[in-house]
Amino acid sequence: MASATEAHADDHGHGGENARETFRGITRDVTKVNLTPIGRWWYPAFGVSLLLLGMLVVAVTHLFRTGIGIWGNNNVQGWAWDITNFVFWVGIGHAGTLISAVLYLFRQDWRTSINRSAEAMTIFAVACAGIFPILHTGRPWFAWWMIPHPNDMGMWPQFRSPLMWDVFAISTYATTSILFWYMGMVPDLATLRDKSKDKVRQVVYGLLSLGWRGSARQWHRYERAYLILAALSTPLVLSVHSVVSFDFATSQNPGWHTTILPPYFVAGAIFSGFAMVMTLMLPLRHVLGLKHIITQDHIHAMCKVTVATGTIVGGAYAIELFTAWYSGNLWEWFTFRNRILGPYAWAYFIMVSCNVIAPQFFWVKKFRENLVFVWILCAFINVGMWFERFVIIVSSLARQALPGAWGYFEPTKWDFMTLAGSFGLFGTLFLLFVRFAPVVAMAEVKAVSPAAHAGKDDH
Amino acid sequence: MSATKKLHPDEKIKADKVGGTLFKAGLGAGAVLLGVSIAMGAGKGDHWRHFLHAYLTAWSFVFSICLGSLFFVIIHHLAKAKWGIVLRRQAEFITGALPAVALLGLVFLVPVLFGNENLYYWSVKQLHDKQHPFFHHMHHKLGWLDPVFFAGRYAFYFGVFIYMSTWFRKQSQAQDTDGDAGRSEKMRYWSGFAVLIYSLTTVFAVTDLFMTLQPLWFSTIYAVNYFSGAMLATYCTLALLSMAIQRSGRLKHSITVEHYHDIGKYMFGWTFFWIYTAFSQFMLQWYGNMPEETVFYSYRMFGGWQIVSILVLVGHWAFPYVSLVTRWSKRILPILAFLAAWQLVFHYIDLYWNVMPNQTWETAGHWIRGPLQGDPELHKVNFHFMDVTLLLGLIGLWLAAVGKSMKGNLVPVNDPKLGECLAFENY
Amino acid sequence: MEAETQAHDDDKPAAHGNGDDHGDAGETSTDGGDTELHGLLAEFETPGALIAAARKVKNAGYTEFDCYSPFPVHGIDDAMGIKRTKLPLVVFGGGLTGLCGGLLLQWWMNAHNWPWNVSGKPTWSIPANIPIAYETTILLSVLTTFFGMWAANKLPQVWHPFFRLDRFAKVTDDGLFIGIEASDQRFELEQTKQLLVAAGATHVEECHTDARPEARTVPKAIYGVMIVLTVVALIPFALAFKARASKSSDPHWHVFSDMDFQPKAKSDQPFGEFADGRANRGEIVGTIARGNLRADDAYYRGLRDGQWITELPAAFKVDVDKLNRGQERYNIYCAPCHGFDGGGHGIVPERVALRGGAWEARNLVSSDSVAIKMPNGQLFNTISNGYNTMMGYAAQVPVDDRWAILLYVRALQRGQNATQAELPAGAQVR
Repeated sequence: MASATEAHADDHGHGGENARETFRGITRDVTKVNLTPIGRWWYPAFGVSLLLLGMLVVAVTHLFRTGIGIWGNNNVQGWAWDITNFVFWVGIGHAGTLISAVLYLFRQDWRTSINRSAEAMTIFAVACAGIFPILHTGRPWFAWWMIPHPNDMGMWPQFRSPLMWDVFAISTYATTSILFWYMGMVPDLATLRDKSKDKVRQVVYGLLSLGWRGSARQWHRYERAYLILAALSTPLVLSVHSVVSFDFATSQNPGWHTTILPPYFVAGAIFSGFAMVMTLMLPLRHVLGLKHIITQDHIHAMCKVTVATGTIVGGAYAIELFTAWYSGNLWEWFTFRNRILGPYAWAYFIMVSCNVIAPQFFWVKKFRENLVFVWILCAFINVGMWFERFVIIVSSLARQALPGAWGYFEPTKWDFMTLAGSFGLFGTLFLLFVRFAPVVAMAEVKAVSPAAHAGKDDH
Repeated sequence: MSATKKLHPDEKIKADKVGGTLFKAGLGAGAVLLGVSIAMGAGKGDHWRHFLHAYLTAWSFVFSICLGSLFFVIIHHLAKAKWGIVLRRQAEFITGALPAVALLGLVFLVPVLFGNENLYYWSVKQLHDKQHPFFHHMHHKLGWLDPVFFAGRYAFYFGVFIYMSTWFRKQSQAQDTDGDAGRSEKMRYWSGFAVLIYSLTTVFAVTDLFMTLQPLWFSTIYAVNYFSGAMLATYCTLALLSMAIQRSGRLKHSITVEHYHDIGKYMFGWTFFWIYTAFSQFMLQWYGNMPEETVFYSYRMFGGWQIVSILVLVGHWAFPYVSLVTRWSKRILPILAFLAAWQLVFHYIDLYWNVMPNQTWETAGHWIRGPLQGDPELHKVNFHFMDVTLLLGLIGLWLAAVGKSMKGNLVPVNDPKLGECLAFENY
Repeated sequence: MEAETQAHDDDKPAAHGNGDDHGDAGETSTDGGDTELHGLLAEFETPGALIAAARKVKNAGYTEFDCYSPFPVHGIDDAMGIKRTKLPLVVFGGGLTGLCGGLLLQWWMNAHNWPWNVSGKPTWSIPANIPIAYETTILLSVLTTFFGMWAANKLPQVWHPFFRLDRFAKVTDDGLFIGIEASDQRFELEQTKQLLVAAGATHVEECHTDARPEARTVPKAIYGVMIVLTVVALIPFALAFKARASKSSDPHWHVFSDMDFQPKAKSDQPFGEFADGRANRGEIVGTIARGNLRADDAYYRGLRDGQWITELPAAFKVDVDKLNRGQERYNIYCAPCHGFDGGGHGIVPERVALRGGAWEARNLVSSDSVAIKMPNGQLFNTISNGYNTMMGYAAQVPVDDRWAILLYVRALQRGQNATQAELPAGAQVR
């Protein structure tokens, strides 16, 4: 990072006071979010989220009582809105792991200021994603059938089904993300423990921080474990969206069955996830007063990742289209023409303009510095990536090989309510996180700050 | 992060005679071996088909390393990476061989222009006949798979590769003399566009050169898989090249075990990415079980090629992957060198596995039998000694071209971040 | 370096509170009188100073000491002589267990215990089992890493003697400390203090712990509560296993109706909405289902004007394929009783005879048999509807195949009653 040289204040005493003031500043700025009354913005935001969450509860209750028929799904569109939401939310989650694990392995120190909240985003997004396939089964109270156990006839789950792979991938992903997130938080929870003034916080943070005391021997194992978890999360995050893509690609359905799908889904997931991180971070750094920790440099970096992954996604669209033509497979070629010219052309063009065209503005530094504009573009990307899944799922099913099985999906109000409600769940969890957990990884920010090298004479 | 170092005062950073020696040795060995191979090709009596396939395999080996090195250079600028600055110049030298590689490609490109069916079956004129068994499957893309258009695209791809690599190399070398830090910024600025153009060009180049060998088969991830193999080979080459340069007494202090450790990590990472893309392609086509796709694997999973498939899986992934997990295998240089050489050998076997099965087709009356249609009777590995001589010959010629471009400093001495790279340490 | 040993007159840090309830016991060693020296805590100014001091302490031969910092200080491992942790090795073991476990699970459940054909793929199809084996590998590795790290670090341990010192609360903020435990063999209070000051400590203080036995043991009530909670947590599982292992005639317990009760009539059930009170609806009078007209009397019943036909019906086209088909069907449906040659020596009568019984199937081919005299129509009717103990085959064998069987039976009859003169030249028996 920049300003590397100024840390080499050679006078120990002098450099020491500066360094310690840096550390104290980081602690002060981050812990004040949790330990001082939160800004007024939090209450209306939390209220809206709770309202949306209530809507989810209503929609789901009605679904349980009545059945999947309340949605727009039908015989042709067996997968529609629900699976779109599932893939969308899983994808959102991926940026969190990418930031926390992959960028860690690549020694991208800028990640430290955003990784905590990105990881939190991952967990809450996976929680939102998880509800959709379970609701989709129609009888969610039998979700435990997916746990490997013999049924009444001694029969086991079918492990050659990609849907079963999903169960394993998503649950492993959720477990790993939670453990990684929590482990990273322990030293910061200890900071909150030591900074809290009231008994309740002291006890709760004290228990959650497991008695962390920052011993070098503990740090040693901790760092090693952190590195291993990062190294494990990287192939994991790759596998999760690949497995999600297998749900589609192992079928013979034109538009779904193509070999590029796994990496293409992963790139799309990272793309949408980064857009979501920025959608959350830009307002958050403002209201929480963390602009000097989450700086314009971070926004530059995230914008660049967004344009890179967005362009990869655009490239994958192009390769798919080219190969559909090149293959000489009539159905494949028809499906792709149908996406562009058929009844769902409107969705296709929303997808292309939001995912491929919109991020191209991020090439230009001036646009990256206009934060309102960045935020709007990120919102567009979120919309675009939702539509990407919609196009893949719905438009492919609407026009399958037999014209007799052609259909058109129209969402009902319950579809809309469930989607909006999932945002309520996400928002509620995220706002609670902001309120009660350390939003920035203080220990990591301190460790990568130039002050962490103060007084060393090996430079 | 913040620690920096200066170049060691005793460091030998000039290429001096290395380039010239490499050029002479490579050219000599390459020319002899190529001659021997041509003699064997002429004597084999199957209308050069084996020769052309083996030649393409060997050519694709050196081509892939050039391709990977170009990406290494571009991505280094794009990501503002510091750890590998001491290796960047070597990658730039390797990309200097691209014009030579383009010329070497004429050996199989010219026959295509004459409609020779031995390598690219789609170049035969009979395909335009409505009675031809493949007409139905291929008539829509005969405009794309047109010999002249193909040759034009070949020229375009190499034009792009050569232009980009030359630009980056020239900028980097100019910085050595004028020390203008603005050049780094300029290269970083253009690297974004470069990577875009690079990816599209690579995808289409690989599709054209290798996927069309089996003109009825298709896979959208094919180019990505080839690319990941190329990147793996590039890191292995950089490891071996660095060690060779250090043995000659140069860069003794600049390239440390920390840099090798990172090369090892990338070898590990690309090994993983390679198997990821290979598995995605295999699993989806196996699971989908559609005849137009499984033809590729049915020809390689059964019969003589089965053992090669297993060999590639174990040799290119399982063994090196497990070996590279540990820290010491990346830091003990003889082990790293062994694994790099091992992966390069298996990179070739992987390419061999991709290209060579396509040669055993034959025409029986009006029908075509063989990999083009997945005929099990023809599932056999036709290994010939010229496969080896061609590989070594092309490596020789390629090394000669690399040596030719190896002039001046072996590290970008005026790169603003070189100091940080020299002091780089893993954690 | 203006280090000084401030034992008691140090200004209190603004924040304290250690997550434990001993408040600001601080450095006072006199609360209750029954205390014991735990060790010394020294504070340092910069990470660099901490590393240098740690090296000095290590070189002085101390082993029971540790550095404390708000973030991992790079370079301290080497200074303190910390050996590389064995954690990666343990994780590798965990991952390997996950891999083998995942593969074994799928093999045992889908290929061994209940082999299951799914879209014609092998029951033990490795490509399809890789994703799950991959995930279990990662899951087990992650769990090993996470729990292994905490176990190796001996955490959770919410209490530690240093937490008694107010100053130690800075360790999660900006404080950099070295703590030397009194249990170290080289520990000599004054000497050690000197060492730390000489190493550049800005502050050194003693840490005392409460030595009373009751302060060092966990109250029994906590163990009691934990045991009770564990038992309570196991109750649902116990109930589930009991339900699984036992039989019950009670109806399902429905939270939701599970679509078990649907507003529809099932076959052979009463249904009040129809006048006859039955759910089943018969054929509507005066209608025939599509394809069931069967107007061709000769073809479907072997009759013309109420008489058995003697020729073959016009709708049945005779060729060699039909004859072969007839042979194949005959060998499946008729040969078990009538024998392959039609002589009545099928495997069924043979088996009856073996068991001491007597039951003969009719000889179809002898010149005086009934079958040879029957008109075609009647023979067809016999195949279709049976004769004496023979049942009808209309249900199993389609019409066309029945005519094909008849054709083959006629061929058998003709073949076995041929005269010498009728045989082709060269095939006669001399």
